[in-house]
Amino acid sequence: MFIAMTIWIIIMVFSVALNTFLCWKVEKSGVKRWGATGRIFKYK
Amino acid sequence: MFWYITVFCFYIFFLVWANLKSLKVAESIDDYTIGGHKIGLLLSIGTTTATWISVASVIGVPGYLYSSGVAAIIGWVAGWCFGGALLPIVAYKIRRPELPARTFPEFIRHRFEPFQKKSTLQAIVGFLMFVGYLLLVNIQVSGFGIVFSTITGIDYEIAIFGFLLFIMITSFGGFWSVAATDTLNTVLITIGVLLAGGVVWKLTGGMSRILETLSVTTAPTIAGGPELDKGVLTSPLGTFSFGALFSIFISNSLGTPASPHWVTRMLAPQNIKVAILQIMGTIFLLIFIMSPLIVIGLGAKVLIPSIPEGKTTDYIVPLLIQEYTPSIIGAVTLIAICAAAISTANSMLLHCATSLYYDVYLNIFSKKVTDKGFRRWLRLSVLLIAIAAVVLAIDPPWFIAMGFVYIYGGFGSAFFLVVFLGLYWKRMNRAGAYTGIIMGSVSYVMAKASGFATPFVIAVTASLIGVLIAVFLTRKPPVEAYEPYFTADVSHTTQKVNAAMRDR
Repeated sequence: MFIAMTIWIIIMVFSVALNTFLCWKVEKSGVKRWGATGRIFKYK
Repeated sequence: MFWYITVFCFYIFFLVWANLKSLKVAESIDDYTIGGHKIGLLLSIGTTTATWISVASVIGVPGYLYSSGVAAIIGWVAGWCFGGALLPIVAYKIRRPELPARTFPEFIRHRFEPFQKKSTLQAIVGFLMFVGYLLLVNIQVSGFGIVFSTITGIDYEIAIFGFLLFIMITSFGGFWSVAATDTLNTVLITIGVLLAGGVVWKLTGGMSRILETLSVTTAPTIAGGPELDKGVLTSPLGTFSFGALFSIFISNSLGTPASPHWVTRMLAPQNIKVAILQIMGTIFLLIFIMSPLIVIGLGAKVLIPSIPEGKTTDYIVPLLIQEYTPSIIGAVTLIAICAAAISTANSMLLHCATSLYYDVYLNIFSKKVTDKGFRRWLRLSVLLIAIAAVVLAIDPPWFIAMGFVYIYGGFGSAFFLVVFLGLYWKRMNRAGAYTGIIMGSVSYVMAKASGFATPFVIAVTASLIGVLIAVFLTRKPPVEAYEPYFTADVSHTTQKVNAAMRDR
């Protein structure tokens, strides 16, 4: 059970890290049409 | 019975109301197929979560937890989660063009055959989608029928024809209707599984008691069947071999980001960031849905050590509701299962009909169609396909969760390389796309038919070799094919080509 739950949690953490990185890439691009707003998790 | 009828009436009322509202919003082809590329974050999270949670999740996963133990968490819960986690990689690129594709096969056309008048590639992908989603809708219908007939005592055949009505109501308004009803469905699914999980938690005495029982039980899954090995239900591999569990994990995970309905979902939000954040929100929400499902599946083994003869593990949730939950909780849980089936089936039905009508018929016969004509013909296609799926479900198919694994595996084998290489490798060209799709799907079917434990891995490897050979033996793709996915400001010719494709 511990191993199974750990795998699930690691994947969730990976997801958050990846999403944050991609949002940062959108911000870095500065393209408004893609969702760049000046703040990493702000989308409009 | 009073509670079941009351809760159901409220549910039907909302579905009809949401559909009528959406009918007014969905006017253009873009609105109908993809919500006009302007779906906001909350609606995106609502519809993505509801589509994610299908009958395979609500019935199939507890069924596998019941029969195979905690290994099902790795194979399905973590597998789907990993697949979802990879979706933003698709979203980051596919939502870049100023005029994104409306459907998945159309994206394949934009990327690989931008100059073709009739795109064979779009038609092939549309046809594969039609077959896959017809089977997936069929699974949802069967799952709903099993649960509904077991709990209410209504005939299975009547239940599945009743389901036809539900999916018609939610699909007729197009993507906006699907998204609006899905958001309510997400709320209902969450409440339903939390309540049912709470009942199981209370009756079993909590997770530590459940695990204690699982570690010593040898009760057969089906009464009269072979006894289980002691401790198998708490081992990470469960009743699977390493190869089988690995294959399930890979099919569920890598099949997800290449599945056409998920790729299409990345096209619906208003911009790339919303598409990415919707996945983050969904994965967070899923904690509150998957955790109770884990408690239900594992706890069921404590409450019902063996399933009566003649039933499969897909019946474990209905049996649990029937025997152990109070009427009101049973009614809400039944609605949750119904919502899970509807929210996945309506979305897949829409993809199924769109791929057949828009990507195959309109593409091959080069028909121009008005928005009104499009809506009318697409609704007719939805109706006919829904009837076909229900008629096919009169004889229930295979194991529900396993059916998803096969189809996701097939989609992944056919489209994984085409999607990822198409979005991230400029050199990926038309010949590579044909080779990838054909070799991937054929080798998956062959590997599966030959009984290999990891058909997905074999298919993707074979497909990769084929794609690399095809790409390097043929010419580079035209700049108009890949430019929109790599730069923000595309050239004038690319703009013209893209606009022409959308105008056809």
